[in-house]
Amino acid sequence: MRNAWLVARREFTENVHTKGFWLGVVTTPLLLLLAVNAQRWLDSSTPTRAFVVVDPQGLYVEAIDAAIERLHQREVLRAFGEYVSKHAVGGQVPSAVDLEDTPAVDVDKLIEQYSDANPAAVDAFVTKGGVTMALAMIKGQLKPDAPAFEEPRRSFVRVQLPAEIDAEAGTAEVAEALRPWLRGDRPISSGEQEYELFAAVVVPPGVVEHVIRPGGIPSQPSTEQSVQFWAANLADTDLASEVERAMNDAQQRAEFARLDVDEATVRAAQGTSVPLVKLNPTKAAGREQVSMADQIRQWAPAGFVYLLWISIFAIASMLLNNTIEEKSNRLVEVLLSSITPWELMTGKLAGIAGAGLTMVGSWLLALVGVLWWQAGPQAEFARSLLEVVTGSGLLPAFVIYFLLGYLLYGSIFLALGSICNTLKEAQNMMQPVMLVMIVPLLTMVFIPKDPNGTLARVMSWIPLYTPFVMMNRAAASPPAIDLYGTSILLALSVVFTLWLAGRIFSVGILRTGQPPRLVELFRWLTRTDAAA
Amino acid sequence: MEEPALVLEDLRKTFGSFTAVHGVSLTVPRGSVYGFLGPNGAGKTTTIRMALSIYQPTSGSIRILGKSSALEVRNRIGYLPEERGLYKKMRARDIIAYFASLKGMTAAAARQRADELLERYGLAEFASYRCEALSKGMGQKVQVLATIAHAPEFVILDEPFSGLDPVNQQVLEDLIDDLRREGTTIIFSTHIMEHAERLCDRLVLIAKGRAVFDGTLAEARRLIPRRILLRTSGGPERLREVPGVVGIERLADDQFELTLTEDGEPDAVLAACFQNGLPLLAFDRSEPTLRDVFLRLVGPEEAAEVLA
Repeated sequence: MRNAWLVARREFTENVHTKGFWLGVVTTPLLLLLAVNAQRWLDSSTPTRAFVVVDPQGLYVEAIDAAIERLHQREVLRAFGEYVSKHAVGGQVPSAVDLEDTPAVDVDKLIEQYSDANPAAVDAFVTKGGVTMALAMIKGQLKPDAPAFEEPRRSFVRVQLPAEIDAEAGTAEVAEALRPWLRGDRPISSGEQEYELFAAVVVPPGVVEHVIRPGGIPSQPSTEQSVQFWAANLADTDLASEVERAMNDAQQRAEFARLDVDEATVRAAQGTSVPLVKLNPTKAAGREQVSMADQIRQWAPAGFVYLLWISIFAIASMLLNNTIEEKSNRLVEVLLSSITPWELMTGKLAGIAGAGLTMVGSWLLALVGVLWWQAGPQAEFARSLLEVVTGSGLLPAFVIYFLLGYLLYGSIFLALGSICNTLKEAQNMMQPVMLVMIVPLLTMVFIPKDPNGTLARVMSWIPLYTPFVMMNRAAASPPAIDLYGTSILLALSVVFTLWLAGRIFSVGILRTGQPPRLVELFRWLTRTDAAA
Repeated sequence: MEEPALVLEDLRKTFGSFTAVHGVSLTVPRGSVYGFLGPNGAGKTTTIRMALSIYQPTSGSIRILGKSSALEVRNRIGYLPEERGLYKKMRARDIIAYFASLKGMTAAAARQRADELLERYGLAEFASYRCEALSKGMGQKVQVLATIAHAPEFVILDEPFSGLDPVNQQVLEDLIDDLRREGTTIIFSTHIMEHAERLCDRLVLIAKGRAVFDGTLAEARRLIPRRILLRTSGGPERLREVPGVVGIERLADDQFELTLTEDGEPDAVLAACFQNGLPLLAFDRSEPTLRDVFLRLVGPEEAAEVLA
């Protein structure tokens, strides 16, 4: 026991001192942080995009300006929500605000509505006085050390056409004249600022005649007849879609007038909907409503399966490499003159499990930490995910399946390592094992769709797959027989595999030359005179 | 009297259809330095592994430090295997301490002992080097130190000299000498006869899985007749009358080899030379070397493999 502990401690220390270990510990949280924040960082690193609208008749330019402004106000509202949750006392704005003369708008509610990207909320926010009003409303609730609110940078700004270009010159000419700016050869200035021209919207005079209407004879207007959106950057489509939406809106409004339809009536009609709730029959009465957390709960296990798979095989491979190292430099002989093969094997299993658990533990901590840090009232996804990760039995299930799965695969890898002399030999032997191992990764995506179906149930009862498939099914409350039965079977298989691996290990570890054939392996297992 | 450190009786080991060791019997008295001599593949390492219970013998019996299995007395034995290896990433002192602690020493004592040994054998400055940064010879010394770190009463060194330069071979000889003085029983296997000659009290010669000789160095020498090499311009025929001389053979024009019985006195032969007024150019009464013994016991073909 003491010797196994000594071996385990050495394995642990050695593995914890490798660069790979620290890379593993550090990169995963970084990646996670990156994934959660990628959108925001990308947004803040994107420069303000400048664009020009060439619309001599003034058909759409107002609509576009309004749309761009609304886009900006949406950003402001979002930033304001974050500001409030960070710096207001209690993180929430009290719904009763003691300001007699402010319009009766509940900022809290506004923010909440915003989560559903409700344009009405944005409009209300703007008409009621925008961020100035909102700031006045929450003044009393801010923490004393709160910094001033900073309005987010505008994503898009419309600039004037360069003076030397005549807007009336005709579509082709204007577009041609704009090329040097659009290619980034010349900067365009607006007030004090200089920008690189990101895009140009060129509205040809006769475009109204070519508006596409349903029911008409389908015809494809030519490039000259269409509104032209010029931009060298094809990847960033936000502006293009915003402009398109604004113009369509404006055109549709004009259409209502042309057809003599009351716009307000149509909008009101469009706003009607049938109430629909999604309910989950497996949940307690009164709590059946399907929330975002429920949906995440359905899919989160797949994430855990992936994590489980990666960690088990990363760590079991460490075991394999390490056994081969000891074997190829004959350190085992010294070890085995001091301790029994069984002590050596359990020590290695435990030591590397320790190193592995430390790494996986740091990942889980990072996951919960990042989510906790990100989970404000605005980040419903992060909040729900956090709730699922910490609140359901997923974490304990993960730890249990990790340990059992690791012991199962770890002992197989140890036995493999003990009969190979070089890493190359081991890689050849690993190929069939890899084929078997890849299956739960392939089924990972299908199982949540039918978590208690035949495929899932059958695979659950194969001990090699039990940890992964049961983890996959963890959210779907599998029948008790599956839950406990497979775990017991898995635990028994672990004991059996450990015994088997112990036999192979004690003979194989001192063997040199060709790896044994299957017949030979069988003889080792059944023979009684193998070194104990 | 104390039980011998190791008694092997008719030890046999087969691997499948191949018999590696055919019934080796030997006795290693306590406190002796015992040499295992023999060509590669003779069964030395297999015999050692069986003695250490790393392999289970096919048949035969083992008594090691009074027990039937080395597993029971593991902590009193130190073993250096033939092939060398260290954990590449571990520091020299840590690896010595680690092996000592596997033999039951406490962590603190093991560390202290590691430092002591490194200091004593001139490796103090390398104590915190990682093993991958050590030269081959240096690594080998570290491994020897790791073998003896727990102050075992019985040390088994398999080919400890191979791969060491002459300076380090001397360091190792000194180390074995130190251990001997402290009363440690030592077995070492080698195929370098000079080392065996200088260090061993007793030795066993193993060839083709059999022990062909087990005894002291003097006993080994007695196995082959003593010889005297004479160079003389006269005729040495009359030396036949000296008691103990059993043969005279002419090797070259003026070179003769005299064969003596076990108790023949070279001094008497020399005296006879002077009495007979034999003009001596050379008189070489060298003791037979282990090399000669070896050659005689295992035959020239086997010997050539080892002595080459």
